[in-house]
Amino acid sequence: MRTRDLSYWLFLAPVLIALTLVVIVPLLFGVYYSFTDWNGITSGNFVGFDNYIKMLHDDEFGKSLWFTVKFSVASIILINVIGLSLALVVTSKIKTSKFLRTIFFMPNLIGGLILGFIWQFIFIKVFASVGDVIGVEALKGWLSTTQTGFWGLVILMSWQMSGYIMVIYIAYLEGLPQELLEAADIDGANAFQRFRYIIFPLVAPAFTVSMFLTLSNSFKLYDQNLSLTGGGPFKSTQMVAMEIFQTAFGENQMAYAQAKAVIFFVIVAIISLTQVYFSKKREVEM
Amino acid sequence: MKGKKIVAVIFSALLLLSVALTGCSSNSGGKDEVTLDVFQFKVEFKKQFEDLVKKYEKEHPNVHINITTVGGGQDYGVALKSKFASGKEPAIFNVGGPQDVKDWEAKLADLSDTKAAENALDGTLEGVKKDGKVLGVPYNQEGYGLIYNKAIFKKAGINPEDIKDFNSLQAAVEKLDSQKKDLGIKAVFALPGKETWVTGLHLSNAFLAPEFDNNVLNAFNAKKVDFKYGDAMKNFIDLQNKYSVQPTVSLDYSQQVEELFSTGKVAMIQQGNWVYGSIAGIDEDLAQNNVGLLPIPVQGYKEDAVPVGIPMYWAVNKNKDKKVVAESKKFLDWLYTSDEGKKAVLQDFKFIPAYKGYDLDKIQDPISKEIYQYAQSGNTIGWVFMGYPSGWGMDTLGADIQKYLSGKASWDEVVKDSQKAWEVARK
Repeated sequence: MRTRDLSYWLFLAPVLIALTLVVIVPLLFGVYYSFTDWNGITSGNFVGFDNYIKMLHDDEFGKSLWFTVKFSVASIILINVIGLSLALVVTSKIKTSKFLRTIFFMPNLIGGLILGFIWQFIFIKVFASVGDVIGVEALKGWLSTTQTGFWGLVILMSWQMSGYIMVIYIAYLEGLPQELLEAADIDGANAFQRFRYIIFPLVAPAFTVSMFLTLSNSFKLYDQNLSLTGGGPFKSTQMVAMEIFQTAFGENQMAYAQAKAVIFFVIVAIISLTQVYFSKKREVEM
Repeated sequence: MKGKKIVAVIFSALLLLSVALTGCSSNSGGKDEVTLDVFQFKVEFKKQFEDLVKKYEKEHPNVHINITTVGGGQDYGVALKSKFASGKEPAIFNVGGPQDVKDWEAKLADLSDTKAAENALDGTLEGVKKDGKVLGVPYNQEGYGLIYNKAIFKKAGINPEDIKDFNSLQAAVEKLDSQKKDLGIKAVFALPGKETWVTGLHLSNAFLAPEFDNNVLNAFNAKKVDFKYGDAMKNFIDLQNKYSVQPTVSLDYSQQVEELFSTGKVAMIQQGNWVYGSIAGIDEDLAQNNVGLLPIPVQGYKEDAVPVGIPMYWAVNKNKDKKVVAESKKFLDWLYTSDEGKKAVLQDFKFIPAYKGYDLDKIQDPISKEIYQYAQSGNTIGWVFMGYPSGWGMDTLGADIQKYLSGKASWDEVVKDSQKAWEVARK
């Protein structure tokens, strides 16, 4: 450990102050508000654990939480599989790899709201027209049922995030020691074996990072959800963030929404930390 | 080494200082100058309103008015709360009805001494009266019903005059449906099930208002809701749904109004006079000469009436200093009672005025004209949805109607679930 003198703390101060002001203080305030009956306009009275007890009987919240879990599982798997595949493609020796990297990364540069509207058009209009032409009924009426809404969200999320996750995998793939791969080649390992026994264990740290990113991002998804399905039909594709927003501003129950947000925060924190802990354990030391 | 350290300390101290100093700003005004911050919701007339305010500033050089516009029902409420929470409280803002009045009561100035309140039409102040005080003055009147395309009706050989009740409406719809191909329409209706405000607030209001005597305060104080005309409501939803462009559950406002109705792909939509601008933006001729309004038939009550009401009220923030409050009231009076203001209200804003003393031949667009005629003849249904429990109309009833449209719930379940939610909210 190096000595922590005055200049060390002074350099850190702006960040620490900013973090305290915009993250930690609001969090503490939020926890406090969740024990009141605040409605967002006038200061509330202290009501103890009422909001938390109310939550136990709240079907809406439970449903949206379950939907979020399902969505997260599907999108984590899809994003990581696609991201890793893309990374393997662009790090292999194809001519257009530089150009492809840019192309795959692009969806990330578009804002979530805009993407939601673009994909809404694709699902509702383009899918229906294609379905008309080739006579496939399954392509019609997208986003008007819970299932199509769910897969619509998963597709949108995967399309947007895979490129970003690809970049993380690329960083690790390019750092692979070549001599190991050559040795494997000489020992007669085929492509699959090389991937299974050498590449996969060595890029494990990338999994830790991308799993964490995809997990927290899919759990906290809001803007794509809002613009693509708006939670419809009948609130069945409403994720937790949106449900909390609705409680706060639609039903005017700020404190209750805040209590939900606290629980939500705890859940996401527990899941993310457990995931990071176990992934870390699996990584191999070089 | 030591020199380096000192440099580092100085540097980091400077960095810290620069962070600390950002966000300090001050504003200074002249002696008797007043600045009014207006925070309002009506996007449709933003530009015209700003132009009018410029005129006002010219006439009153000591008054500055800043307008912020945030559109949409729920978004406005959210933005307004954030605005107040940030400490930059506006002088003039909007409230919608009894629930808003209750929520914001601590901030609302009494406007009963204004000319605008005095000239407001009978009954328009119901929703914002409390303990003998008037806490808001109305924007304008709005109404909605079934807006239809006259050209399509003519081609199909239907006389809109004949449509007086549910049965004649149904007959007309069937007639239109049978000639879909010749008329070049996709369907008769476009029912935007995705927009829970269209179904959960507007449609439901026509059928629930009668049981609350068309009075928003009765709805606001009601402990339960009976759905006395629930069957009529079901029939009306079924009719629209059956003959609508499918799937209705994911159909939204812009598809309904801009993509389908304005291009002549559907014959009828359930909307109000606020769609005039959107239609005119796509097809000026259609908007000016070829749209009409049919009533919403409530079987067992009035089958030929149009729901007419006040969408929002202007409110003044009483926590501002006396001068600002006085100037705010003066401005609102000027807006609705001066000749200049009146002219703008009718001709630039294209409002249906909610005040006495207007030359009503000057109402600009055909839909507003028809609504005004309905209002004149007393053939109206009140707006009570501002008196529903918070979020009930859109999040409960609107979502339940989506379930019904998707075949995931029976009508009975919709009614029961909505009733339960109402009672829970009003415990």
